[in-house]
Amino acid sequence: MKRIWKIYRLLAAQNLKRIMEYRADFLTGAVSFLIDQAVGIAFIFIIFTQIPQLAGFTFEQILFIYGFSQIPKGLDHLLADNLWCVGYFIVRKGDFDKYLIRPVNPLFHVIAETFQVDAIGELVVGIALLIYASPGAGLHITIWTILLSIIAVPFAALIYTSLKIITASLAFWLKSSGFIIQMVYGMNEFSKYPTTIYSLPVRIFVTYIIPFAFTGYYPSLFILTGNNALFNIGGVIAISSVLFVISVFIWNKGISAYESAGA
Amino acid sequence: MNKIRKSYVPFMKAGMQNLIIYRLNFIGFVIGGLIYCFVMFYLWRAVFASNGGDAFLGFSMTDMVIYLFLSNTTSQLIFSSVSNEIGEEIRDGSISMRLLKPVNTDLSYMFTELGTVFMKLVVLLIPMILGLEIYRYCATGNVMFNVGNFLLYLFSAVLAYIISFRVNLCFGFIAFYVKNLWGIGILKNSIIGFLSGSLIPLAFMPDGLRVCLEYMPFASMSYTPVMIYMGKYGTYEIIFRLGLQIVWSVLLYGLSKLIWLGAIKRLCVQGG
Repeated sequence: MKRIWKIYRLLAAQNLKRIMEYRADFLTGAVSFLIDQAVGIAFIFIIFTQIPQLAGFTFEQILFIYGFSQIPKGLDHLLADNLWCVGYFIVRKGDFDKYLIRPVNPLFHVIAETFQVDAIGELVVGIALLIYASPGAGLHITIWTILLSIIAVPFAALIYTSLKIITASLAFWLKSSGFIIQMVYGMNEFSKYPTTIYSLPVRIFVTYIIPFAFTGYYPSLFILTGNNALFNIGGVIAISSVLFVISVFIWNKGISAYESAGA
Repeated sequence: MNKIRKSYVPFMKAGMQNLIIYRLNFIGFVIGGLIYCFVMFYLWRAVFASNGGDAFLGFSMTDMVIYLFLSNTTSQLIFSSVSNEIGEEIRDGSISMRLLKPVNTDLSYMFTELGTVFMKLVVLLIPMILGLEIYRYCATGNVMFNVGNFLLYLFSAVLAYIISFRVNLCFGFIAFYVKNLWGIGILKNSIIGFLSGSLIPLAFMPDGLRVCLEYMPFASMSYTPVMIYMGKYGTYEIIFRLGLQIVWSVLLYGLSKLIWLGAIKRLCVQGG
C-alpha cells in the first residue's frame, strides 16, 4: 500500500512538472471546461425564465442536482483520464507493452500516469453551484445526510471510472474502442436532470444498465428530501462496487487477449 | 475548371475514404449526438408539461422535436474538423508537405472535408429528414414537407458550411500559438453549440441577447437553415438571413486569410 502511494506520488509529480512547463495549455484546458459548464448552466437559466419549476423541482434544486452531478464527473476526469488514451490509441499503437513489463499493476499504472487538471473546470463549477444553490434549494441538512452524500461522491466517480475501464478494455479485442467510450460516456448527460422526466424504459436504462442516474440525481435527491437512504446512497455504493468488480474482471480478460501491434 | 477537377477531386475522394475507414468513430459520434437529442427531448417535454400549454414561445412540441433533431444533424453535417487537422499538421510538421503542393492550401483542406460532408448528406441528413417527416405526419396528421423550404435549407446549409469551415480555419491557426488543441476543441464546440442555437433555440433567449446572437456568424451555422426548413421565416426574412450568411462567408474568408498571412510567418516546424 505504501509502495503504491509512493509510486502514485512520483507519477503525479511528473505530471505537475509537465503542467508547469505548458502553463498556457493548462489554462486553455481548464477555461474550456469552465465555459462548457457555463453554457450548460445558461441553458437551465434560460429555461427557468419561462417556467417556475421543472418536473416539480425549483430552479435552485435543478442547479443543485446539476452541480452535484459534476463533482463525480470531475473527480473521475481528474484521476482516470488516461483510460481514454487506452481506448483511442495506446493499444492500437502497441504502446500498451510498456505497462506490462513494469512491476506495477497495469490498471493502476494506466490510471496513475495522468493527472488531468483540466477537470478543475468541472469541479469548481460543481462546488460553486452547490454553494450557490444550497440556501434556496430547501435541503434536508443533518449530519447524517451530509456524511452519507460525501461518502457517495467517490463511489459515484467510481461508476464513471468503471464504465470507462469496461469500454476501454474492449480495445484489447477491437484494437480501438475510443468511439465506444465516447458513446457510453456521453450518456452522462442523463445524470444532470431528474430521472422523472424520462420515460420508463430510459429511466430503467440509466438506473440499472448504464447507471449514470446514481452519479447525480439519486444522491442529490437524498440530500434534498432525506428519504430512502438505502436506495439513493446504498444504491450508489452497491452499483459502483459491482460495476468495478466487473470492470476489473473484463480488463484482466482483455489483457490476456492483448496482442502487441505495430512496429 | 478542368484543373480544379483534376487537382481537387482526389482530395475529396480521400475524404470519403477516410470516413469509410473510420466509420466506427463516425457511427459513435452520430449515436452520441442522438443520445444528446433524446436527453434534450425529454427535458423539453418536461418543460412543456411544466408550462402547462401546447406552445412555448411559438414552438409546439412537434416543432421542438424537428428543431432538436434537425439542428443536431445540421451541426454534424456542417461540422468541420479542419482546426484539428491543421493543428496536427503544424505539430508534426507535415504541413510543410501541404505547402509544397501546387494547390491552394485552403481549398485542399476544404475538398478533403467536402468528401465527408457528401457522405454525411447521404447517410445522415436524408434518413433524418425522412424520419422527421414521418414523425410529423404521425403527430399532426398531414404532410408538411415543403420542397421549396427544403431546397432553401440546402442552399443555406452550404453557406453554413462555408462559414463553419472558415471559423474552424481561424481556430486551427491558433495552433500556431497554443499546443492544447484538445482544450481549444472543447472550447470551440461549446461556444459554437451555444451561440449557434443548436443547444437552445435563439428564439427563447432574452431579447437583447437574441438580437445580438442572430447577427453573429454562429447563428448562420445551424439556426438559419433549420428555421428556414421549419418555415418560421417569411420571404423577406429568408432573403435577409441568406444575405447575412453571404456577408459573413465573405468577411470570414478575409479574416482567415489575414490570420494565415500573419501565422505563416511564425511557422517553425519542429523535428522531422
